[in-house]
Amino acid sequence: MENALAFIGRNFFLIFGLMAVGAAVAMVFSKSAVHSVLSFLFAMLSIAGCYLSLQAEFVGVAQILVYAGGIVVLFLFVVMLVELTRFKEAGGIFHVQTPWAVVAVLGACAVFIYVFRGLIFDPASKDALVLKPELAQGLDVASQNAQAVSRGLFAEYLLPFEILSVILLVALVAAVAIAKQERA
Amino acid sequence: MTAMTLTQSFVTALLQIVVLALFVFVAVPVIVFAERKVIGYVQLRLGYTRIAGGLHGVTGGLNRLMWWMGKLPFFSILRGFPSFIADGIKLFTKEDIVPEKADWWVFHFAPAISVVAAFTVLGIVSFSPAPLWTWPAAVPIVGGLPFAGVISDVNVGLLMLVGVASVGVYGIVLGGWASNSKYPLLGGLRSAAQIVSYEVPLTFSLLVPVVLSGTLNFTQMSQYLSGAPIQTSAGPAQMPALAILPLFIGFFIYLTCGFAETNRVPFDLPEAETELVAGFHTEYTGMKFGLFYLAEYANMIIVAAVAAAFFLGGHHFLPFGLQRFIPPSVPVVGGASFGWFLLWMALILFSYLWVRATLPRYRYDQLMHVGWKWLIPLSLANLCLAALVRYFA
Repeated sequence: MENALAFIGRNFFLIFGLMAVGAAVAMVFSKSAVHSVLSFLFAMLSIAGCYLSLQAEFVGVAQILVYAGGIVVLFLFVVMLVELTRFKEAGGIFHVQTPWAVVAVLGACAVFIYVFRGLIFDPASKDALVLKPELAQGLDVASQNAQAVSRGLFAEYLLPFEILSVILLVALVAAVAIAKQERA
Repeated sequence: MTAMTLTQSFVTALLQIVVLALFVFVAVPVIVFAERKVIGYVQLRLGYTRIAGGLHGVTGGLNRLMWWMGKLPFFSILRGFPSFIADGIKLFTKEDIVPEKADWWVFHFAPAISVVAAFTVLGIVSFSPAPLWTWPAAVPIVGGLPFAGVISDVNVGLLMLVGVASVGVYGIVLGGWASNSKYPLLGGLRSAAQIVSYEVPLTFSLLVPVVLSGTLNFTQMSQYLSGAPIQTSAGPAQMPALAILPLFIGFFIYLTCGFAETNRVPFDLPEAETELVAGFHTEYTGMKFGLFYLAEYANMIIVAAVAAAFFLGGHHFLPFGLQRFIPPSVPVVGGASFGWFLLWMALILFSYLWVRATLPRYRYDQLMHVGWKWLIPLSLANLCLAALVRYFA
């Protein structure tokens, strides 16, 4: 019992990662668009589980809050309100793209492994994955990462953070402007 | 306390989950029954003291029984209980219909999402400051270990709560969509728009105690509200006297948004019978409908628990930090206990019923008007007030 639990505890990241990959595959290959969105939701929740298993509680919970609770809801709205049946009758929108998509995914995997092989396979590279210690002075990063993240965002990198939010705002306003033009 | 082994903590968590589930399965019927009774008294209805049928046969016997119970001192409270039991039997035995053109998977999945999200949120609510009991040493695995009043006292508790609660909206949207029928779809969309809108002021109002205290943790928040100094990772914090003002305003904003989030009167537009038949659960029967019902009441319990923990006394007797005027040495009202938490929860749940019995339903545009033009600016201003209090005090 004890060993089995410890084994599961050590491999939470792997379990959630496999769940995320499985859900992503289901998202791509499911026939109904709503089923795709549901699989996407499941993938997002699994990724949140990955973050939690890496002790990044804040990022994990923010993942649930922003992606699962906000963005996927919007996806679902769009998919539910836009009729996708005509694509279904035409033999599926994804059929033409499938071979190219497989090639692109394999290529992306190759590039990813080539670029990050040092990070993944080199034992000395573990330090690069740890949050900058000077940002988290006096904080126990593993247990208080909400504070660590907020220090990074609102003290160290305040200006880039604000500029980023302005960029997002510009994108939103632009989207509204384009939609308004089409209706007129 | 010595460190628990993995097996012990696993079994303890499982036991806690079972106890919590039992608590909800007991509390929800009690609330439903109380709802009928309270609305009956407030609106001077005779309702719920009799059931369909005449004065003959089985129903007649039950009607006579209820009439007789009303004359006895204690049993008059239970008047209406037989018809409540009948409601339950009906829920369990009703035919389980799946519409032919419904999306089978999503149709079955939707109620489950609602219930799972509600129960997951309850897992991080701290019901009791001290362990509820300690297992006697004779118990096999967990002997000698305390049984804590919270399953997972995470330090991002509030964020977790808001995040998982926002997943619950999928149950409503998908339930409406999967029925493949017009009224449920409209009801589901309406409800989703309502919930997404009111999430904004809800979160803003919940940020008030967070800004004041600097913690997201349920247990620490309760200590902070009692006026005791707490040690957060952002530094020590103790409640200033002025903090009562933003907390007081925030509490009412939170309660209003909580009513909207749980789709209760006066914001029960998803189930506006006159317009939408029964909203997103029109096509649901039997226990699948029962799960939606259970999720709604479990969400009410969550709203009550969060309001109690973050605005009212938490585990203490007096709300909004007034507890500091009672020294901890005073028996019963001076200390923190499970009972006070339950009492505050019960009061807020009663206010749900009270509001339902007195207020009419908003129109849809009024609902959005109140949410976007009043509650969001008000909650933002209140948040600024809280930040000023924190900065100067």
